[in-house]
Amino acid sequence: MSEEWTFYFDPNSCIGCHACSVACDVRNDRENADDNWRTVKHEGTGEFPDYEETTVSISCMHCGNAPCEKVCPTGAITKRDADGIVTVDQDKCISCHYCGWACPYGAPTFDGEKMSKCHLCLGEGAGDGAGKPPRERPKAGGTTPACVDNCVTDALHAGPVSEMMELASDAAVRKFTQNDRQLIVEPTEEVDPETLGD
Amino acid sequence: MGSQDLTVSRRTFLKGSAAGAIGAAAGCLGRSAESGDVTSQGERSVVHGNCWICRAECGQEITVEDGRAIDLTGVDGHPKASAGPDREGTLCSKGMAQLEKTYNPNRITQPHIREDGELRAASWEEALSYAADELETFAEEHGSEKLLRYQGYPLAKHPWHDLFFKNLYGAPLKVGRKTTCHGPFSTSWEWMSGYGREWPDWQNSEYIIAWGRNVMECFRGQWEPKGVMDAKENNDATVVAIDPRYTKTAQKADKWIPIEPRTDGALALAMGHVIIEEELYDEAFVEEWTHGFEAYREAVADKTPEWAAEITGVDAGEIREIAIGFATAAPSAVAFPWTGLAYQANGFKNCQNVHALNGLVGNIDRPGGTRQWSKGFSLADPHEKQGIDVPANYEDKPTPDYDDYPFQKHGIRDVSHNLVPKAVERGDIKGFVNNWSSPPKSGNTDEWLQALDDMDLVITVDAFWDAVSKRADVVFPGASQLEQPFLKGGGDSSYSTSGWVTASRPAIDLIGDCKPDYQVYKLLAEEMGWGEYFPWESGAEYWDEQLDAIDMSFDELADQSYAIVSEVGYEQWKDGGFDTENGLFNFDLDVKDEYAELAAEMGASTAPEWQPPDDKHYGETTDDDYPLLFTDVFVEQLSRGHCQALERSVAAYQERYDVEDWDYDGNVLHINPVDAGERGIRTGDMVRVESADDSIELMAHVYEGARPGWVATVNGFGETSSHPDGAGANSMKLNKERHVEPVTGMTARNHPVEVSRVGGEN
Repeated sequence: MSEEWTFYFDPNSCIGCHACSVACDVRNDRENADDNWRTVKHEGTGEFPDYEETTVSISCMHCGNAPCEKVCPTGAITKRDADGIVTVDQDKCISCHYCGWACPYGAPTFDGEKMSKCHLCLGEGAGDGAGKPPRERPKAGGTTPACVDNCVTDALHAGPVSEMMELASDAAVRKFTQNDRQLIVEPTEEVDPETLGD
Repeated sequence: MGSQDLTVSRRTFLKGSAAGAIGAAAGCLGRSAESGDVTSQGERSVVHGNCWICRAECGQEITVEDGRAIDLTGVDGHPKASAGPDREGTLCSKGMAQLEKTYNPNRITQPHIREDGELRAASWEEALSYAADELETFAEEHGSEKLLRYQGYPLAKHPWHDLFFKNLYGAPLKVGRKTTCHGPFSTSWEWMSGYGREWPDWQNSEYIIAWGRNVMECFRGQWEPKGVMDAKENNDATVVAIDPRYTKTAQKADKWIPIEPRTDGALALAMGHVIIEEELYDEAFVEEWTHGFEAYREAVADKTPEWAAEITGVDAGEIREIAIGFATAAPSAVAFPWTGLAYQANGFKNCQNVHALNGLVGNIDRPGGTRQWSKGFSLADPHEKQGIDVPANYEDKPTPDYDDYPFQKHGIRDVSHNLVPKAVERGDIKGFVNNWSSPPKSGNTDEWLQALDDMDLVITVDAFWDAVSKRADVVFPGASQLEQPFLKGGGDSSYSTSGWVTASRPAIDLIGDCKPDYQVYKLLAEEMGWGEYFPWESGAEYWDEQLDAIDMSFDELADQSYAIVSEVGYEQWKDGGFDTENGLFNFDLDVKDEYAELAAEMGASTAPEWQPPDDKHYGETTDDDYPLLFTDVFVEQLSRGHCQALERSVAAYQERYDVEDWDYDGNVLHINPVDAGERGIRTGDMVRVESADDSIELMAHVYEGARPGWVATVNGFGETSSHPDGAGANSMKLNKERHVEPVTGMTARNHPVEVSRVGGEN
């Protein structure tokens, strides 16, 4: 039975090392800093010596109600029924950038010719997600997304929503369901998941 | 020697015709840029490797497609790459970025020799013949003792460099990491507790004091941050980060103590005071296994938390709380100093004072304490197995005997990193051989550059054009880790009580005309008539013989990536005592004759003591002209090696501080908003950092995570680095010969400076 996939991220475990973002670059041949699918943000609050940082690893959240899909004039962007992964069919993309502007996180990026974005490592590289068979779990032969595979401290996970919900706290699940089924993210003292990307 | 610019600008490379440039560089930047079609998969295999980006040998799984390495991850269960048995293996961001090192368009892929003052590409035959002639002429004219061996980071710390240059050529003089990286830490530990690679048993600890060490960002292997996170989760460990900079270790810590820089020794003495006063120390251990406790007790008798609070800026109540928490958790507690203290001119005593805390609470080589890691096994000596008697031609060669600095007068060492230029000036060093290192970014930069020009012979094995390779007479293009076999054994890892070995074959064919390290030395030895000492065809063959001692073959080990070989119990000192002068843990170093003489001359105690910066021996102090204290630091995204040449690593570093959009590829100066505001500086401005000696320019990063009065940047950038554009600043331009720690000769990296805005559009 098909099920929507999502990321689960726990900033309390993240050490902000950028292994996830570099692993994504390597697996998916992202070469230009403007065209990275995953980024790591370091949110600072307070003044010395009461300064604190929280680190957030962020990519396409494969939103339940994806705004990028809605604005795409050619239907190049699809929120797939089978696994909920949002892909770009670069053959249909006309590089109008609407998706990049519509996304609150700027997840779709321009690779110099077409728009591209995270496809949860359905394949490798831009344009390699669209039309792929439904996402399989690693134990059933699917790959582990590069970012998840190389997370040093198990802060980042990906999988069917029901499995990710089991890993997450009630508060994180509640936020997820209230927040258009985007990323499941654990709350911290410093970061409210609803303000991610602001 | 001359200097020339042989580097392709990365910006030029990227901004030019990508397809043409990439084609010319044999697909150096990845598959998608070549065709946009990455779905077509050729012949793929997954092979093992061992990461050497930060020399932690994390086990790698390397995906190879049609002979090209395309992806990397860690080996599950690997002692360095994972948190232990059945745990997932990973690589860090700089380890992940290393494909760009292998396939970098700026890599040196051909031998080069200097002809008529200019470096030119040469065949291996030409380069070997040239190098052999130069070495013979050098020995005849100057004596082989005048060739300095500068210890870099050859792959797997292989023995062939020393076999050739020390044993066969007969060059006795070496400068290594003790005077550029960790001398005050490791020498004080060696004399107090015996070397044995002190390092925390992170995963079993209940109280971790990361003291001038940013373990969550500057780890030596994935096991370290994973071990700290395990300790927090499984042991509810308390983590305390003592650092004037807010680091990722501070972020994960229960307490961040942004101490007044260079006052760590005072804090440690006050903690000792509290622990003794509260009778929380390990009386049995102190009584039976230590020397000098009375001197230590006396030294801390009046060092109250209130006394230390005045000096360190740390609240007295907080000092008491940390001391009691640390001692109560002991022996599963560890206070671990590193470069934050080792970079200080008063760092020796500061480190001694911190080490004393570990002895006081009896955590030495106990679970969760400070482990004295050892392999617990030995590998075979291939020369002995082959019946080859290796000469020791370095013996009985004259070496410099200096008495300019305390460490020289008392026989600790004569030449440290910062003193190499003086030895060249005096004619005691006439040349040097370098392997995978870049000395001009490690201290006394300007004089080092002059010394390189003055030397009669410079030979280097390296991968990028930097201040050394551009000035060399012979450049041998070293193969990257992915192109070479690897073997390493050790103790420190996520397997707390095991010794281990790890190995891998070359994952890909050699790039260009590069050669594996073993071949470089074998071919040079053959050229010099010493081929009999290199009878093995490859490094893998040599290592295969070494592994006979544990009944493994190289191929067998490479197939499985790693093997757990031995059991190493805790409390190794119970069997034969500590590996020190007197077999005991020494609070008081009066047992070490050289140090006792040095201390007497300097008017210092051999016991723990507070030595403030004094503008004489222990560091220069800030004043009205130079009111800020500058030092350099590490970050996770860049290693001590070539990462400045890797676009992804530099980009990750910039992203770390949110300056990736500033069209600037260099390092940034962290400065507190108060200090920045007084000087009209905002993030993105170019600033000049000026000391009494020199100045550097780099971009400002205004940061609440920097202590007021203190500014810092990461080292390794600037015109002498391997960065293709030479972007940013070499912090060690501010460093001069006199900036040395007096006991070990280590380069001291704290400099009073003023910072001013020189440009910016904000």
